[in-house]
Formats: sequence, structure tokens, C-alpha cells
Amino acid sequence: MNQVAAIALNTFRETIRDRVLTVIVLFALVMIVAGLWLGSISLEQQGRMMKDFGLVAVTAFGVIVAAFIAATLVRKEVEKRTVFVLFSKPVSRAAFVVGKFLGLAATLAVVVGGMGLFLFVVTLLVGGGASGMVLVATALIYLQVLTVVAVVVFFSTVTSAILASMLGLGVFVAGQLSHNVLSLSRVGAGALTEAVSWVVFVVIPNFNAVDVKAVAVGEMTVAWGQVALWGLYLVAYTVVALGAAALVMRRKEF
Amino acid sequence: MGLRRRRVEILRGVDLVVPKGAVFGLLGPNGAGKTTTVKVALGLMTASEGEARLGVEGLADVGYLPENPYFYDYLSGREFLSFCGRLFGMSAGERRARSGELLRDVGLEGAADVHLRKYSKGMLQRIGIAQALINDPELVLLDEPMTGLDPIGRLEVKRIIQRLHDEGRTVLFNSHILADVEELCTRIAVMKGGRIVWSGTVAEALTDSPEGLEAFFMRVVGDEPAGAVGDGQPEIVAGETPS
Repeated sequence: MNQVAAIALNTFRETIRDRVLTVIVLFALVMIVAGLWLGSISLEQQGRMMKDFGLVAVTAFGVIVAAFIAATLVRKEVEKRTVFVLFSKPVSRAAFVVGKFLGLAATLAVVVGGMGLFLFVVTLLVGGGASGMVLVATALIYLQVLTVVAVVVFFSTVTSAILASMLGLGVFVAGQLSHNVLSLSRVGAGALTEAVSWVVFVVIPNFNAVDVKAVAVGEMTVAWGQVALWGLYLVAYTVVALGAAALVMRRKEF
Repeated sequence: MGLRRRRVEILRGVDLVVPKGAVFGLLGPNGAGKTTTVKVALGLMTASEGEARLGVEGLADVGYLPENPYFYDYLSGREFLSFCGRLFGMSAGERRARSGELLRDVGLEGAADVHLRKYSKGMLQRIGIAQALINDPELVLLDEPMTGLDPIGRLEVKRIIQRLHDEGRTVLFNSHILADVEELCTRIAVMKGGRIVWSGTVAEALTDSPEGLEAFFMRVVGDEPAGAVGDGQPEIVAGETPS
């Protein structure tokens, strides 16, 4: 446990001190503020536009930061040979993977949480009253971002950093659409197509099921029980992806 | 990392016992398998046959300095040592005390709060030795500990190795600097092409070649002697008295 905490704290320090992260977060905040302008040109819809645009910005920047930083988390340690320092001490490969994940999770809590809080305050000040749903939506975006981190960490143990980032982003996009694949397969498709669609639906995490942006902007309501179940599915998916990454790491020679 | 791996035989029957309390020099030309031997002993690589035993209570009792070390450059020297101490489960107080002591020992007290990215190669080598000693290990493995050090740095490292020896710890180090090996080591082994081609005391080597260790090394490496050891399976044992 000490080892996991030490690696997590070290990873948090590493990522939070990264200047690229500061630039990305500043850019994201600018994008959220830009929502003010969009709101001003949409009659009677300023608050709604702001929340909508802001939550999309929080998602996009959260996922981009997750995909690109997560891809280098493990690989950088291998390429710069800092793994020699870690694995010559009583540190298991699983503790290494979990520690790296938790460290980045802490950084992303600051980044995504900070952006969500900023959006909440801006909508409170300008957008004609904020709803707590902005914060709930941000929490669920954070859950999606963590799943992307786990997926990218796994891919980074078996392929290059850039490919791991791209695959992670691909899984995120596919996860937004996987429910559509299932719906489409039911319209006049054969049994095989429907079976394949089911496999795709289960293997690709269904991010859309925990996306409550539309609820936050007051466009629709959701069944919260369903959202909670899909949230648990994402947690399980994250654990499995990290477990797979740890197994791959165990077999690695340095 | 890749989809296909080619099998390359790096070690071919390394049979090596490092006596407890010895300062053991592992010598050999580049590519002889010295670093790989140490990595196998630490579990960073796995031998396809044979076994490597550390002879101590696992990695908690081992210190290791990798060759050409690179450390987390966004940490200060003090933060880095504290991080390493935490990996061994040391408390905050223990880490603070031990880090301060080691920073003094390796002559980096004045640079304790400077980020490692601003350290020179010699300073990195010294902080590397400090991290290898953070857990007060019984067995210390140093891969090219003198590389990049100026004469003062070399002297400091030699003093540390000598002190570890005086405290009864086992030290194994790889080096190309034969003068240091001659000065510090009690026993040596010479590797070539993944095998141990000679093993014995420094005194035996010097009896063999009175003109010095360099001449001995050139003779052993250039012309493998008939009585070479290392035909068995890989076996690296530290902390046991040789028979």
C-alpha cells in the first residue's frame, strides 16, 4: 500500500508540474468563457448554451488530457529506465500500474473538477442560475475520463504511446456511439449482425449511458438507477483494463 | 515493446558466488553480460535456465545503482530520496533523517533542494548511490558507479564503498576502471561473451600478473584460459560463503 501511495504521489507531482497541462487547462477555461459569447447571441438561451458548450469543453479537454498523459505514464518510465529504480525495490508490477493510475486520477480530479467548478461559478454569475446538475454531469464526465485512462494505460503496455492515445480516443468515440450500433442492428438485420453488435456493445464501454449533459441543460430526464448501473459497469471496466495492464507488465523484461 | 521478439542468448552459463561481506568486482569488456547478470539477480530479467539467489531477505535488503542512471528530473534530490524511502515503507521521520545523512555522505547537502534536471552527470551518479543506500541494505549492487565522476567524486564513492565493506556489507560492482577495482575489491570475476572466464581473489590475479590488474584483464579477456569456469547453468548467489 505504501508503494502504491508513493508512486501515486510521485505521478501526481509529475503530471501537475507539467507545463503542457497548464496550457491545456487555460485553453479549456477560455473555451468555457467563450460559451458566454455563444449564449449572448442566442435569445433567451444564454444559460442553456453556456452549460451545454461548457460541459462539452470539460469532456473534450478531460479526455484529451487523459489520453495523451496516460499514454506516456508507463512508457516514459520504461524508456527513461526509471523502472530500474522501482523494480529493484520491493515494488510489484501491479502496484506500479495502480499507483500510476491513481496519481493521474488525482491530477484529473483537479483538472476536470476545476473546470466543472469554474463552469458552475460562471453559470451562477452570468447564466441566470446554475443547477447542481452541472456538478453531477462533471462527476460523471470524470468517471468516463478515468475509464479512458485505464484503457490507454493498458494499450500503452502493448503498443506505442501515440497509438495508445489514438486507440483510447477511438474507444471513447466508439463508446459514445455503441448504443446506436445496437439499435441499428435491430432494424432489419440478421441474427449474426445483431450478435456481433451485442459483442461490440459489451466490449466497448457505453459512455453515452452516463452522459447527463442533456439533463444538466434541462432538455431531458434520465432514470438515475440506470445511470448508476452503467457507472458501476465503467468502474468494473476500469478495474479489468488495469488488471490486464498489470498482467502485461508482469511479463516484461527490462 | 513489439509484436515479435527475437531470442538472443546473452548469458551462457554464469556460475558465480559472491561471498558475504566481500567487495566483489565484476569485470569484462562492453557486451560481456555484466549488467544482464545483475538484472537477472534483481529479477528485472528472467534467466531461461538456472537460478539467481540474492542470499538476503529479498529486495528489501538490496540496494541497486543502475548504469547511466536517469531519475525523476522534476523532483529535488531530497524529494527523490524521500520517494525511494517510501517505497521501502519508511516513516516520514525516518525518511527525513536518512535522506539528510545520505545527502551529506555523497556531498550533495548543498544541492538537496535543487531539481534533478539541474544536476550534473556526476551529481546524478552520487544521488543514485544515495538512493541505493536509502534502505541501509545488506547487499549493494552498483553498475558502473564511477562513471561520469570527477576525481573528487570518485574518491567520495570509493570512501562509501570502503565504509560499506567495513560495516560488513556485501558490495558487487561492475567497472571498467581497473585501478579502482584493484584498490577496493577483495574478489573479482571476469566475464566475456556471456560467460565467467575467471574468478578469484585480487591477490591471485596479481600473482598471476605482477605487472597489474590491467595486464591480467587483457590476458584473460584476450585469450580465454583453459581452466575457465562457467560451463554450468546461470547461478548467481550472494551472501553465502564460498566453499
